[in-house]
Amino acid sequence: MFSSLLRGSTIALRTASARSALRPVAAISRTSLVSPLRAYSTGLNRDDISARVIDVVKAFDKTTASAQVTADTHFAKDLGLDSLDTVELLVAIEEEFDVEIPDKVADEIKSVAEAVQYIASNPEAN
Amino acid sequence: MVKRLSGLQRDVLQMYRQCIRQAHKKPEANRPNFIGYIRTEFGKHRNLPRKDFSTIEHLLRVGHRRLENFSAAEVKDIH
Repeated sequence: MFSSLLRGSTIALRTASARSALRPVAAISRTSLVSPLRAYSTGLNRDDISARVIDVVKAFDKTTASAQVTADTHFAKDLGLDSLDTVELLVAIEEEFDVEIPDKVADEIKSVAEAVQYIASNPEAN
Repeated sequence: MVKRLSGLQRDVLQMYRQCIRQAHKKPEANRPNFIGYIRTEFGKHRNLPRKDFSTIEHLLRVGHRRLENFSAAEVKDIH
């Protein structure tokens, strides 16, 4: 008898909490109608992109530690990377910004500046 | 000095890219093993003359098949 009483009370509790949980959800969905929750990369500014690309380049294990990486570093000329290393680096940059660079475009990217340029022009980057 | 790549060279780069992308889908702890493996496999033929078309095409075919095998989700590590 006692246990059934207990069970009854927990059910009552649960329904109460469910009701209270429902209200904020409704509130959120109403506001989301007014302003979409998803923010696209219009907010990404060029300096941020550049800083993140430079971090990825610095973290790449074939980049020589002494090399100075700046916004206009050239992968092959300044870092001594070959074409295969460049491909690897670009995949790392893809991962960082959650995009996939098409093959044709990727073949043309050979410097930090070009990578930044591509990411800035890609609306899906984040 | 913009060196234009031949179609075949571009194919090789594309396959390298596919391999690296697949490696990034593997568990993070084993990723260096995959990347190291890819580098050594491509490195074996680094000095192949660029005019040796039939060998390069053969290696591309072999590589694609191997990439398919290692792409399976069951493959978690490589030695």
